Amino acid sequence: MSQINGTKTTQLRRAAEDAFAEELESLRGVDDRPRPPNWLLSPQAVVTYLMGGRLGSGFEVTPKYIGDRRLMEVAVATLATDRALLLLGTPGTAKSWVSEHLAAAICGTSRLIVQGTAGTSEESIRYGWNYALLLAKGPSREAVVASPIVRAMEEGKIARVEELTRIPSETQDSFITILSEKTLPIPELNEEIAAARGFNLIATANNRDRGVNELSSALKRRFNTVVLPSPATIEAEIAIVETRVAALGRAFEIPAEPPGADQIRRVVTIFRELREGVTADGKSKVKQPSSTLSTAEAISVVGSGLALAAHFGNGHLSAHDLVSGISGAVIKDPVQDAIVWREYLETVVKERSEWKDFYRAARESA
Amino acid sequence: MPEVRIFGIRHHGPGSARSLRAALDAFRPDCLLIEGPPDADALIPLVADPAMTPPVALLVYRADRPQTCAFFPFAAFSPEWVAMRHGLDHGATLRFIDLPHAIQLADGFETRGEAPESETAPAELDTPEPAEASEAPSVAVRRDPLGELAEVAGFPDGERWWDAFVESRTGEDGDVFAAIQEAMTALREGAETAPGQDADGDAFREEAREAHMRTCLRKAAREDFARIAVICGAWHAPALARHDAKGQVGLDAATLKGLPRTKVAAAWAPWSYERLATASGYRAGVLSPEWYDTLWNHEGRVAARWLARAAALLRAEDLDASPASVIEAARLAEALAGFRGRARPSLDDLHEAAQATLCFADPAPMALIRRKLVIGERLGATPPDSPGTPVEADFAATCKSLRLKPEAVAGELILDLRKENDLARSHFLNRLHLIGIPWGRRQQARGRGTFKEAWFLSWQPEWVVDLVAASADGGTVAEAAGSRVRRRAREATRVAELSGLIGTLLDADLAGATDDVIRALNDRAAVSADVFDLMEALPPLAELARYGSVRSSDTEPVLGVVRGLVPRAAAGLTAACQSLDDDAASAAKARIVGVHAAISLLEEPDLKAVWQEALHGLADQSHVHGRVVGRAVRLLFDDRALDAEQAGDRLRLALSRASGTVAAAAWIEGFLEESGTVLIHGGTLLAVLDEWLAGLDGTLFAELLPLLRRTFATISQGERRAIGEALNRHGTGVSDEEGSGRILDAERAARVLPILRLLLAPSGDETTEDTP
Repeated sequence: MSQINGTKTTQLRRAAEDAFAEELESLRGVDDRPRPPNWLLSPQAVVTYLMGGRLGSGFEVTPKYIGDRRLMEVAVATLATDRALLLLGTPGTAKSWVSEHLAAAICGTSRLIVQGTAGTSEESIRYGWNYALLLAKGPSREAVVASPIVRAMEEGKIARVEELTRIPSETQDSFITILSEKTLPIPELNEEIAAARGFNLIATANNRDRGVNELSSALKRRFNTVVLPSPATIEAEIAIVETRVAALGRAFEIPAEPPGADQIRRVVTIFRELREGVTADGKSKVKQPSSTLSTAEAISVVGSGLALAAHFGNGHLSAHDLVSGISGAVIKDPVQDAIVWREYLETVVKERSEWKDFYRAARESA
Repeated sequence: MPEVRIFGIRHHGPGSARSLRAALDAFRPDCLLIEGPPDADALIPLVADPAMTPPVALLVYRADRPQTCAFFPFAAFSPEWVAMRHGLDHGATLRFIDLPHAIQLADGFETRGEAPESETAPAELDTPEPAEASEAPSVAVRRDPLGELAEVAGFPDGERWWDAFVESRTGEDGDVFAAIQEAMTALREGAETAPGQDADGDAFREEAREAHMRTCLRKAAREDFARIAVICGAWHAPALARHDAKGQVGLDAATLKGLPRTKVAAAWAPWSYERLATASGYRAGVLSPEWYDTLWNHEGRVAARWLARAAALLRAEDLDASPASVIEAARLAEALAGFRGRARPSLDDLHEAAQATLCFADPAPMALIRRKLVIGERLGATPPDSPGTPVEADFAATCKSLRLKPEAVAGELILDLRKENDLARSHFLNRLHLIGIPWGRRQQARGRGTFKEAWFLSWQPEWVVDLVAASADGGTVAEAAGSRVRRRAREATRVAELSGLIGTLLDADLAGATDDVIRALNDRAAVSADVFDLMEALPPLAELARYGSVRSSDTEPVLGVVRGLVPRAAAGLTAACQSLDDDAASAAKARIVGVHAAISLLEEPDLKAVWQEALHGLADQSHVHGRVVGRAVRLLFDDRALDAEQAGDRLRLALSRASGTVAAAAWIEGFLEESGTVLIHGGTLLAVLDEWLAGLDGTLFAELLPLLRRTFATISQGERRAIGEALNRHGTGVSDEEGSGRILDAERAARVLPILRLLLAPSGDETTEDTP
């Protein structure tokens, strides 16, 4: 027991299925609806896991995704009908987060993952060879090194592909056979790996720089697509930042006090105003910087502000602790964005009487 | 006593219609009483006519004032329609039992209650439910109580709720309606204890309608029928159920006593799904007629059919939609429905599924096909021998007298406006335009001054519905067009909009409305602070005042308007031109030029003087944008209100160093653009300009060059060449007293002479003999 605890506390970040093991267990306990083959939960229970809610037993499930329930329903229904799911969205709209939790809830593991990069090769999608064995014994199943996708196929689990559009087009196309035939031939052995029931694929892709490696229409057709939007309202975005910052604070054991809602509201307001190019009251326009300013970045700004406050400040999150993080997130292009930020400070922030401390802190650091 | 059953239905609900059909088949009534206008009882048999194709509408209108009317649309899936068909097929007696519109449309009925709704009530489209202006919660419940129940139950679509909770839960037919009546009784109790939010007038209308329905029911019960079926909106079912309650006879008689009456007529009219969905004042909530159509005609394979249609429509828009994707979409929709606890997919499920599979989560393609997919394009038809609506009849009569035939085949029509028949045709086509029927399209107009007018005719069948709907605005095409224009005039916010309207009115010969619009225009102009708006209104009016008489319309009132507008525009001109940026200055310049041309056209010395004074004022401004001032000087110069020397002084002033080079360049642009003749014939102007240009230093010159180039590019090539030659000939010091004479090229001039001779044709010249 102490052994397990020990490994858990030394681990920097725990996978969803470990961090939320209790919730998954409770859901499983009360879930009496039919489950698709090899699923650990019924589709309805998966949606409850994602959106949060109170179970019949009184157990409270925390929300993982704060947003439109219908999107999650479409996503889960897609997986239940054996179709691969493609989550699209601008950076920081919780695509990977949703994909991790979906996999964890459906098959108990979110670790069968292929990270898409420009260097992702076919071996990491299909299989490679253990060359020592290959030379010693010749081609055999033992010499095959299975990719996470192949393991998911064999075990009937959910495989995840991150950043699908970063993968070169010719490599992307290896997914076509897997998705349409649900088998993977190994011509060298004259064998094929057939997917067990329950196998499916969740891919995420960024639709901001879609041009990187646009999916071929043959591949696109094999996915059902769900676009995850930016949070619809400021309240939703504040809720996201709050819950995530609290969770991160626990994980990293930051000794600072939890941030006040007013500080979070301020960060989120700044991010939204710059992202949408218009002030929160909708009355004046604001120049937009080149940065994406996603909710994920807002979370990290508040998180790093908390760390600053804990280790170098008085343990209380102040405007000073936030300013450097915010300007760092806004100013991605040192010339243009700096002008935008400066203008925003002078025209919007300065006018708000209750934001004086922030304005002063920003002027000092600039 | 006959057996009486009350069927509370959901207006235009296919599920409701299906239950009703089954219930009627089982009950086999020999008398059907339907919530509808008794004024149209005589028209019911036409429903069985083979040429009658829903969607159609019943129009009930006052004989003396057809624009006071009400529409009752029916689609094939409307329960009332199903009931009528059932009754006719089985030879049962059919009656409408709602409060007659002879009463509802009569003068004074509206005021029986305390608060009359003067604006909305008569002109709007009406359905079996009463007109409501505001959407208070209690009103929404009364309008579509079943839809509201569905929403409370978490169903996005009342029909799916009906499916899940009403259809699938009934053992035997008839139970459905008993259950609904129970639910409505509970709802009504709730609504009656809640504080009344509607005007008293509405409450009274409601009461009178139910009293009349009860009275009709009692009357039928006394006759010799065995089984009576009453088909009414679910909301009314509990009220009708108390028809034989003790004391009800007296109460109803008191309610209906002494109500005013008028003479009304009724007609069947073709209708369309589009109007069923979008018509204002529609109160049964048909958001998607096509969806209901699919539910009614293809229950059992709704999902496949709907998605296949979506795919076909996408393909028609050149978007990829493979059958494989349709299969996946259908699977996803089924899964979503199951998941959300529904037996069959609802419209939302289908759309979400289609978006995720067919459109790759992009909302744009679905938006593109939405109108065709969701609303549908179905068009109804009525038997040719059924009495038409007043505007239809007027349209047919006018077409006949003008020898025009509504045909889809496009054809060109050239009208000679001096001929009476052709002029009437032109008026007629213009009037149709005003009521939203662009049957004829004006082909390239060869100026208003000519007597010819070319039209391109192509008739679209769906316009029949627009004709029918125009009945709400008047009894004839002309009346409807007139009242449409009056409404637009009331709603117009800009003077320029109104002046445009006057133009169309003269073209359509609607003298009555013209007066109203002119009055509106005068009122608006008097309070308008926007001088540019006034200026924009002027050119079309001036053109009308000058040339409108060709169409034998009286233009004197238009001239009156112009006389009122010009001084207003002149007075505000200088103030309006302060602090303009480049774009605004260019717009202001265009308007000034427009007004100037308009005033020149009118040839009224008084107006001209007023305007020139304003231009003088503008020309003397030093802080107004150079482009505006430059153009003002130029216009005055062209009118000889400034001579070359005065213009030269102003040019020099504008170009002086103190005023800045950019401003100077703008001034030049305003002064010169579009025509350079001033430089050729304008005395010392070219020299002043040349001197200034030569005096610029290198960097400034480079800075201003693009602007100058742009200015000179608007000048015609011949003029540019002439200017260049003038400069070339005299070096830099041009003195233009002799300039204009010197530019003549004797050789080129000689080439023109033969043509001139031909044109002038002096007698005895041989060229005349050549011409036959």
